[in-house]
Amino acid sequence: MNETLSSVPIRKEWDIVGARQTGRNWAKDLGFGSVDQARIATAISELARNIYLYAKVGEINFERLDSVPSIGLKITARDQGPGIKEVSKVMKDGYSTSGGLGAGLPGVKRLMDEFDIESTDAGTVVTVIKWTRI
Amino acid sequence: MNLHIDDFKNDDVATLKLSGEIDAYTAPQLKEKLLGYVKEYDEVQVDLEKVNYMDSTGLGVFISALKTSKENESKFKLINLQENVYRLFNITGLNEVIDIENTVQGGM
Amino acid sequence: MGSTKSGKQDYKQLLMEYLETGDESVLYRAEQFSKNSIQQSISPDEIVNEHYQSLLDIIPDMDDRIKSSFQFLIETMISYGMAYQEYHVLREKQIELRSEIGVAANMQDTLLKTQVPQVDSLDIGVKSVAAKEMNGDYHHFIIDDKGNIGIAIADVIGKGIPAAFCMSMIKYALESFSENQIFPKYILDSINRVVERNVKEGMFVTMFYGFYDVDTNYFHYASAGHEPGFILRKESHEFEEIDAKGLLLGVESEVTYEEKFTQIEKDDIIVLFTDGVTECRYGDRFIEQEEVLDVIKSFSHLPAQEIVDSVYKYFERLQDFELRDDFTIAVLKRIK
Repeated sequence: MNETLSSVPIRKEWDIVGARQTGRNWAKDLGFGSVDQARIATAISELARNIYLYAKVGEINFERLDSVPSIGLKITARDQGPGIKEVSKVMKDGYSTSGGLGAGLPGVKRLMDEFDIESTDAGTVVTVIKWTRI
Repeated sequence: MNLHIDDFKNDDVATLKLSGEIDAYTAPQLKEKLLGYVKEYDEVQVDLEKVNYMDSTGLGVFISALKTSKENESKFKLINLQENVYRLFNITGLNEVIDIENTVQGGM
Repeated sequence: MGSTKSGKQDYKQLLMEYLETGDESVLYRAEQFSKNSIQQSISPDEIVNEHYQSLLDIIPDMDDRIKSSFQFLIETMISYGMAYQEYHVLREKQIELRSEIGVAANMQDTLLKTQVPQVDSLDIGVKSVAAKEMNGDYHHFIIDDKGNIGIAIADVIGKGIPAAFCMSMIKYALESFSENQIFPKYILDSINRVVERNVKEGMFVTMFYGFYDVDTNYFHYASAGHEPGFILRKESHEFEEIDAKGLLLGVESEVTYEEKFTQIEKDDIIVLFTDGVTECRYGDRFIEQEEVLDVIKSFSHLPAQEIVDSVYKYFERLQDFELRDDFTIAVLKRIK
């Protein structure tokens, strides 16, 4: 069962902080520990920064996933930017603009449990899920 | 060892004054800068008076510059080459296709 | 990812022991623990969290500000963790790449293999060593049905894998000449067209091509911007430069190369090399060409292969066994 929790628009750099905060609060509510909260917040940072830097405008969506035995936080980053031409390329380590800081989409993928990306010239949707540890 | 690049521009002529060594480490920065100038200016001259070492990577850069200048119908020339640097142009036959003016220390 | 329950227990156990005893042996075990964690690719933020969780158990009435400070530290460590994970992946990839390059280098050796011709009148020796894994130098022998010998020595400007591709192309172009076409001028004219047409901007080739006529003992040669060769004359015991002017390959599409020839007497030695030999330097000092020639001369009484091996060893030592450039030298000694 999915339940939409909230949605945060990304328009300016400051919104990245707002998205982090919102994500962290939901993570805390759903019972994630402090490391996972920090990971979720960092993943949101990356996703929101990508929107802010490359698409200018977009939004981050939060959903609760009820499953047995764990609870999931599903985060969807959506924009109408120019899209990513070669997804497999940006998913390669060392490719990201982070300059070897391990960030970028591969970093997000590692921080979370599930990762999916769809990109066309009409925009990009990145969906990630983190499950509570049992 | 480093390569230092000074540039002087007036109207259509640009001069790049190089000092140091041109090798595999310094060639990329030189290439980027030089090709940009060759595209932009009608005449580009490279002063090699203070270049005491150049290896074959450097030749590659100047050949690229020559080709680019031909495509852009601009002038490209090298001035004030030291003897050992000129030797490379002489051996490779590039002195016949690249405009070279003045070699220092007597030249060849 | 994620640490095991027992890992957490271990950490808490170690920490408690250390707080009680302050013993060095506990610190040593902590070192083992961290090595173990690295092997299991447990990231730094996990360790900080374990520390925090253990502390909460050990000191239940911890100050709230200290608790918050741990949250802060964990956040700060997350990026280190990400960089660490990436490093891990990249390192594995590097190992993989390295082995692939090794395979490519082997394949290059196989593809570019050339047999040193065995003829009565000449003693021939060659030494070619790559500075990195892929060799940017190339040499090739052709022998026709009369036993005449063609030798090509080339240096690709722009090293590494692209150079290796370029060289395979040159080799197959060289092999496609029929046996009565192996005259230097003709070969360089044609190879130049092949290189100019097929090689991307930024890569150039210098080549020396020689043809030894075993009937007349004339050595015919042409050079496409290559380092000049030398003949050590038996009679004068002096080197004579053999150079033919010519533009390096791949710069212009139509170039006509100059061909020269010279008579080779018995016990004369023809020496050909790439600039890895004449441009080798140690420390800040370049080796003068004369020094190179002196070294060659000092070994000239030896059989051809021993000459090139000895010259190589000499310069290898001079450069502290670290070649800066590919090194190729070929020696042809007329023995009959």
